Parts: sequence; C-alpha cells; structure tokens
Amino acid sequence: MSWNKVAVVGAGLIKMGELFEQSYEQMAAGAFSAALASVDKGLDKSAVDAIIVATQRGSLWGQEGIGGNTVPSAIGLSGVACTRVENACPSGSDAFRIGAMVVASGVHDVVLVIGVEKMRDKSTQEGLLARAAAGHPLYNRGETAPVLFAPFATRHMHEFGTTPEMLASVAVKNHHNGCLDPYAHFQSEITVEQVLASPMVCNPLRLLDCCPQTDGAAAILLTSAERAHEFTDKPVYVAGFGLATDHPYLHEKSSFVGLPATTLASGRAYEMAGVGPRDLDMAEVHDCFTITEILDIEDLGFVEKGKGGPASLEGETALDGRIPVNPSGGLLAKGHPIGATGIAQLTECWWQLREEAGERQVAIRQGFALQHNVGGRGSGVSVVNILTRNR
Amino acid sequence: MKPVAVLGVGAAAPSLRLAAKDVGAAWGSGGGRGSVAVCDADEDTLTLAWRAATAALDAAGIAAADVSGLWWGTARPPFAEGPSHAFLATTLGLERGVGGGLSSGSPHAGMEALIGAWDALAAGHARFALVVTSDALVPGLGTAGETTTGAGAAAVVLGAIAESADGPSTNGSSPAARLVARATRAMPAVDRYRADGDGATGDVYDARLFREEVFVPLLTETGRAVADEAASPLRAWAIADPDGKLASAVAKRLGTPLASAAVYGALGDTGAAAALLGLVHACADNGPDNRPDTGPGSGGLIGAIGYGGGRATAIVVDAVRAVPGAVTVDMLGAGRQVTYAEALRARGQLEPMADPIEMGLPPGGAAFVRGNPEMLGLFGALCQECGTISTPPSIHPTCIGCGGTQLEVVSLARRGRVETFVVNQTMPPPFQAPLPMVVIDLEDGARLMVQGSPADAADLAVGDVVTLSLRRYALERGIPVYGYKAFRVARVGADGEADGGAGSGATVGSGQDPSAKEGGS
Repeated sequence: MSWNKVAVVGAGLIKMGELFEQSYEQMAAGAFSAALASVDKGLDKSAVDAIIVATQRGSLWGQEGIGGNTVPSAIGLSGVACTRVENACPSGSDAFRIGAMVVASGVHDVVLVIGVEKMRDKSTQEGLLARAAAGHPLYNRGETAPVLFAPFATRHMHEFGTTPEMLASVAVKNHHNGCLDPYAHFQSEITVEQVLASPMVCNPLRLLDCCPQTDGAAAILLTSAERAHEFTDKPVYVAGFGLATDHPYLHEKSSFVGLPATTLASGRAYEMAGVGPRDLDMAEVHDCFTITEILDIEDLGFVEKGKGGPASLEGETALDGRIPVNPSGGLLAKGHPIGATGIAQLTECWWQLREEAGERQVAIRQGFALQHNVGGRGSGVSVVNILTRNR
Repeated sequence: MKPVAVLGVGAAAPSLRLAAKDVGAAWGSGGGRGSVAVCDADEDTLTLAWRAATAALDAAGIAAADVSGLWWGTARPPFAEGPSHAFLATTLGLERGVGGGLSSGSPHAGMEALIGAWDALAAGHARFALVVTSDALVPGLGTAGETTTGAGAAAVVLGAIAESADGPSTNGSSPAARLVARATRAMPAVDRYRADGDGATGDVYDARLFREEVFVPLLTETGRAVADEAASPLRAWAIADPDGKLASAVAKRLGTPLASAAVYGALGDTGAAAALLGLVHACADNGPDNRPDTGPGSGGLIGAIGYGGGRATAIVVDAVRAVPGAVTVDMLGAGRQVTYAEALRARGQLEPMADPIEMGLPPGGAAFVRGNPEMLGLFGALCQECGTISTPPSIHPTCIGCGGTQLEVVSLARRGRVETFVVNQTMPPPFQAPLPMVVIDLEDGARLMVQGSPADAADLAVGDVVTLSLRRYALERGIPVYGYKAFRVARVGADGEADGGAGSGATVGSGQDPSAKEGGS
C-alpha cells in the first residue's frame, strides 16, 4: 500500500540551457509561474505557506553562504517560511522529500518545492573544474566531477565487459529523447560514432559521455492528498521515498561496480510505496555520465548487476522499451542544473503519469514512476522518490 | 672517540633530462654537450632526499625508529625558512625525538651534514645516523648555470663501531666500510649566490678566475690534507664539479683517478649531493681494471671532496667489501628527455597567465596542522575490532568497516595493486594532464586513492602493481604540500608480480621513479 499522504497539484520548469541572460532570481520566478500555471483549477500564490528551495552551489553565482530568503523575495512571497536544502546532486529530490514530510506533518498546507541553479555565471575553469583543488589536499586533489564516476566505468568494463559502445548508447538514447522535450538543453540527435570520436575528458569517459553545464529552475506545488482535488482532478501522489548515504571518499568504497546509496535509498522507497521495480512504467534517473545510468538501472533493480550495458545497447530503456528511462532526455540532454535537476525529473514524472508528455509519452499501465539522484563526494548521497496516479 | 662505520648508502636522480644543446638553441648560443637532470613539477630537493634516504635505510637494514639523528645537507631547502627537517624526518618515519640538523646555504652543506653526523657518533651522542645530501637548484634563465645545474640526492647510514672480544661490529656485524679521515679548508670568495627573495641561483662563475685562483688551489689543498691523514694511497676520488672540468683537474694534481666524472656526465652539477653521489657511485664502480679479486664495488680508500660557500671538506672512506646499497649513476635511470619549454614548466619558470586554482584550505591552516603528520607519514586507522584500515585517521573517528571506535594509528604499506583508476584530461592550472588517479589495494589491506604517474597514463590497467613514492602535490601559495603518488612497477599478469618482491625480471619502471624498484614498506 503506497504512502499517498501528499499530492503534487502543479509542476513546471523553464527551458534549460546556458541562460546567460537570466539571473538566479528570474529563473526562480519563471519556474514558479510555470508551476502555478499548471494547476488545473488554479492556485492563488498567497496560499503557499512554506517554501523549500534547493540550490547546491550558491558559490557558482557569487552567492556564497546564501540562506532561504532569496527565493521568496524573487517570486513575490517575501515573508513566507523558506528553508534552503543543499545535499549534493540530490538536493532537489531531497527538497521534494522534505516538502512532502512537511505537508504530511500538517504544519503547512501548500508547500512550494523549488530548485534553482546557476551553473554558468562562472567560467568552467573557475566553476566546476575548480573543484579539482577542493576537498582533502591529497585524497581529492585533481578530482573533477568525472573522477567521481569514471573509476566505476573502468571497473565495470573490467568485471562485466561493458564496452564504450554500451556507454555511448545511453547518450544516444537520451539525446534522442531530448529532441522530443521542448525544455531540454540539447535538441539534437547524436550517433554512437560521434560519442566515440568526442574528446577524452577523463578516461574512459568522453565529452559526450558527460552531461553539460546547464542553468535552470523547476518548481512543484504540494498539498495534502485530502485537499488535492481542490486544485486538480488529476493529482499525482507521493507513493514513497528514500534517502541513503555512503562513505564520502572513493577509497572508502567496497566496490566499484555499483553505488550502495542508490540501492539503499530505492529499497526504502520501494518498501514505503509497496511496489517493486517491475511495477514502474518509467523512471527518471541520474545520468550525469553515461556510466551512471548503467549503474543506476542495476542498483535500482531494473536489470541484473552487470547487465546494464547490454540492456542499454539493446533498447530496454528506450521510450518503447521494457522500462523507459529518462524520457525527458535526462541530465545528458535536458541538462543538470544541480538544485533544479531532481525537481525537473519529478515534473517529467508528473507529466508522464498524467499522459501529457506529448511525443515522448510512454505507455502508462501500472501508474508508477520513479525518480532518482545520486551524487556528492564519493557519490555518497542518493534520493529516490516514487510517484503514482493510483489512489 | 668512537670509530664510525658506513652501513648502507642510497642515491636518487630526478625524472627529467634537459640537453644542453636545447638550452643553447633557445638562447641562440652554442649550448654545449651533454645533459642535466631536472626535477619534474612534483619533485624537489625533499622528494629526492626521501628517495635516497629510503634506499639507504633499506640497504643498511636499519629501522627508522633506530635512527638517532637525521643530518640533511641541501644548498636550498624546500622552505627557505620553515619545517624542512621536520617534514623529511616525518616522511621517513623517524622518531619525533630524532636529533641532527639541517645544513644549507651553499653546496658545502652536504659535507657539513656528514661531518655533523660523524661528530655526533664519535662523541657517543648517537648510535645510528642518517646523512642525506640533496639538491635541486633552479638556475637563472639565460645563465650559464642552465647547462650545468643538475639535481640529485645521496644518503649514507652511519653507525658507531663497538669494539668487543669478537672485534669491531655495528648492528651485530663487521662493517663494510668506515670513515677514516677528514679535512676542511676555507677561502672566502663569491661564486654561486642567491640573495633573499631571489627566485633563482645566480652565478658569477668566471671559469679561468675560479679555476686558477679558487677551486683548484682550495680543493687540491683539502684533498692533500685528507690524503695525508689517511696515510695510505687512495683508490679513487669523488669530487664535486661545477662544470665537468674542474674535478678532473683536481684529481690530476692529486695523482689519483677520478671516479665521479660519470655522475657529472649523467646528472650535471648536483650541488650539495655531488660529493656523496660520487662516493656512492665509486663504491659500486670497479673502475677500468674491474678488480675481480675483491668483488664489485670493493676496494680500498675512496676520497670525496665537496665545496661551496668558500669552504671545502674532504673525507676518506675505507671499504673492505661491497657497501650495501651502492649503485652506479646509470642504475638511477636514464630519465625522460624533455624540451627546454617542458623543463621551464617543470622548474616553475614558465607559468600560464590564468591564475591557478587555489586549494580549498590554506596549507598554513588548522587542517594541515592536524593533517601533516598523517599525510607525510602516510597513516591509517586500524580497527581493533574488525581489522579494517580507515584512511586518514583524522577524518575517521570511527571505522568505515564496522563503526568501531578502538582505532590504532598505523603506517600504511607502500605497495599494492590497482583496483580501478581514471586518467583526468581536463583540469585548470596548476594541474597538468594527463593525470592518473588510482584506487590501490595496499598489501596491508588498506585501500587508498592517490594520484598516479603521467608516465603510466597511456596503458595503466586494473591489477597493475604500484608502489607509493613521495612527491610534491602542490606549491600552494608558496608553500610546498607533500604526499604519496602511485608508480607502476609491474604490469598485471607479469611473472613474479605476486611474490611481493621488487626488482624481479618482470618489473617495469615507470620511467619516472627508480625508487619504486627499491620497494620497502
């Protein structure tokens, strides 16, 4: 039996991309407007009585040490309670999870969960690449983002014979899906050959194995399940969720062919939702790199450990496959504005469950969708949320 | 006064070689012949000293904990003012109470370190002494020093000889060699110099002036004095050399063959390390007549002369058999030939205009005060309940295996296998691609992730055998930061890889780090 105490009554995002012309505040306002506009029966914004905002790296837009007051001011809700969540790549999905718990507690009635991230107000050199000098002076030195996942690709290839073509097939599929998603950063098809010919970024990952740096924002409105029908006749319910952690340094990993945080988080979410991987109609998973999606679909139980590569190559995760994965284009094509990513993925799940996803609509048979992020130092934080249209 | 024995020796050369003709081409001059040894960007006088010292301790069979004092001589320590000696002692695992000292300020520092150790042993204040001499000077751009200044290190483990009914012994056995004579002479003259704040070493070396009026007279006088004291004829001389010509001129006057010419030829002027590097080479080199009667590297009296800063010191060693650890200079590896531009970049004289990304934490801050001992000593926290090793201890108050809190700080193994790795190709300054980052399963069961060698980047593989060697991770806000990096010593599947024994026929050097072959944990 699913949890189902809380409902999504509105969700929306802005077109992802290198949004040099928009400020953090403008992106937040855009996402909030989109979410409000999506509420079928309308929702007066003054009804929002709490905000959870996810922004992972304020330092990337010159707002080190920001608190929770920037967003309410930007969206015309100054005064409303607002808390900022920073929990690595799952910041957005954790904000959603926390928002659901806040609503379920009965303390707040209408909660806005909003993710906003400015990735490109700093150059790549000063921004994401600068993390090569952050952290422990020896054990993190030289550790840019691909270093967090490339060791898993090396070992997955070593143990299971996973090939560069299998990795590339993930990028090809997600870029194809991105072409069907008007909100995606990239809207062009790529081929396996193009992936394999792209420059090496961090062996064995090439440029097209990596997600881009994307500015973006996404927002979701939550109410109690009881009140959902005041706002829509097609609510989507929070069936369950889970968060799990793992050791923060790569040398503390017991294995390099899977991410234990994902397995733990999804186990908790499946139990809370009363479903298993076979009950899902689709999933939005964390594909910051192609290898990550392969690890995810194994760790989430969609395929056996070690079979993620062949499953991707053979189309099991395509829009018309056995379990469609990342119909939105995923992080690889839609983009990865970190704090907004999870909320954008949940927005895709909301569209898919309501069968409003247009050309990229997958078949909804059982009424369950899964959303997943994993990240942070050592990929030691994972959040899984499961949504359902069943009540 | 106790007699003093030489128990073991070691030597090290840096990774890079720069041809004099390439320097000449850059400046539109002749440049000359031969090549000099140059430190890679992550090497310096301390990392070279560490390698030579580690090799000497291994050769002598002396545990780090038994060393009474560390005497380090280097013209220019890594910190002009700072914890140079404490850093080197910690990386070598010496006791916190270890004595000795740091000599610097001129290339004569190497001999000062040796004499200091000798005095302490002779006076009975120390039982085992570690003498390390090293230099990695940076010559000024466009100076003659660019075609002569090399880099290298040599180390000697000395012990006081105890006389017993069974005869003289040190550490339970009869010593292979002993120190028998010494002499020092002074002559105040400015040759090589550097003022406070100067980045590179300057040079007023006027070949004829210094040859005729300073070096030849001073070194000859010092050599004669020590030879007189030794009383027996010397087999060979090892003489520090500024230009590849002076040492042979001095040896000719002294009437004894020069054994150290090959060291200058291979590495250039190794400064404070030159005299002992020549001695280590001479101990392993049989000379042209090969003296088969006494075995390799044996052989009578060998003299060594070091000079600098207006002083010269000579010593004589009497070797009765092969000195443990003695290596000829060609055994230190041929190094990798680099272009002038690459050498400049490695020496820190060619920098990108983009500001390098700063470390998240300042090296003078609290995190380094807490972390330096465990980073320099390479420590882990061994769980007394489940045996898991969590690394490093300061960030692991509880065991990553079982959550236990009974942890013992231990020194980690220095050898292991590649569990997985990446090669990072995309980083901002000061990083240089390709940069392997390697997850290693060490022989003691600890797992570690450290940087690897660019020389291994092209074909590193899961299962390869690597050893850990000290390198300079960064020069951060002017402060050097040291840690260990992984260097491949054997490819996965190579014969003999599993026996843990270094130096088997199947081992392959990384080309970067001959010390890797010395193993040791």
